[in-house]
Amino acid sequence: MADRLTQLQDAVDQLATQFLASVHFVNKHHELKTLSPKDSIRDTKKDDDGAPQEVDPLPADQFKAGQTELAQDLIVKEQQIEYLISMLPGLENSENDQEKRMKELEEELKVAEEERQQALKEKEEVLTKLEGIIRSIKRP
Amino acid sequence: MDEPQPEPRLTATFPSPPPFWKEFTEENLTRISELRVAQSGEASKKADPAASLPARILDLPPELRYLQPPEEPADGIYRSFGDLYNLKNPLPSLEEMGIENLYTPPSTPSHSGKYSDRALVLKRIAKSLLLNFLELLGILSHNPEQYDEKIKDLRTLFINFHHIINGYRPHQARESLILMMEEQLERSRAETRGIREGKEKVEVILEGLGKVKMGEEVVEGGEEVREEGWDVWEELDREFA
Repeated sequence: MADRLTQLQDAVDQLATQFLASVHFVNKHHELKTLSPKDSIRDTKKDDDGAPQEVDPLPADQFKAGQTELAQDLIVKEQQIEYLISMLPGLENSENDQEKRMKELEEELKVAEEERQQALKEKEEVLTKLEGIIRSIKRP
Repeated sequence: MDEPQPEPRLTATFPSPPPFWKEFTEENLTRISELRVAQSGEASKKADPAASLPARILDLPPELRYLQPPEEPADGIYRSFGDLYNLKNPLPSLEEMGIENLYTPPSTPSHSGKYSDRALVLKRIAKSLLLNFLELLGILSHNPEQYDEKIKDLRTLFINFHHIINGYRPHQARESLILMMEEQLERSRAETRGIREGKEKVEVILEGLGKVKMGEEVVEGGEEVREEGWDVWEELDREFA
């Protein structure tokens, strides 16, 4: 899992891709209109040269559904971005705070390490004692 | 008949590491550290060994030469895989890249400044992105020829967004470091606790044994003592099972 900053960056890039996809969808699948009553819509569907058609109109309901979905996705992505922004780590800390905290932690780590070594030593001592006693005992 | 061509794949394989890695033997490392100690002892005793790089030793035997890290390039530029890199590598400001700066404060926040205002700016830019996209769609539907300006606006917004993110990276790096240190502290403390608990258990057992021994001394071979002794042995069996 990437860190939150990278997630945010990816989300923004995805938003840009979604912009592109939305425009592309509308551009590709919009319906065809006549400009004057004399015009007629050429039936390009019957072209079988295999070339991709410039406009591939979708039925109105499908087109509408596609638009709605893309618009919803855009909103969701934007909300994701805002959420990620509010989850960015350390928004409340300044660089000075961070440095202070790091120094504190360094000290605490040193103390904790000393304690650990001390505890290890004590444990070793007790173990030696226990071993000595076990050796000196005859099992009943 | 011979192969017409040497294996072409060989040229494509990953290059082998530079030959000097073989010089990093235990023996050589010891030797160079001895030499360094000697050198620093001669040169000056005031120099702080932790703060500065080990002093450069000039007349090294050839097999130790690679163990000495090279000096930083004086002009601050180095080359890697054919590309030039700057040693400092600062984040260029938006103005330097010729992009309009949309947010205030324009520079990185001061040493004590908080970062929450950046979140606000980011949210604003995110909203502006959507709005500008909507406007772009409006323009496209009415006069597709005029897309240019709006696209530029969107571009500026995106670049600003990324710029803030990149400026945020050092902050996040420090934040992650703090988190890691906190975790390490917690681990260390938990380990200490575990050791202490183990020690206490052993001490309890020792006490139990002590009682048994005393019991044995007072009542030689008493049935009660035997039973008490068995308790301790069972306890021990459990502990070391």
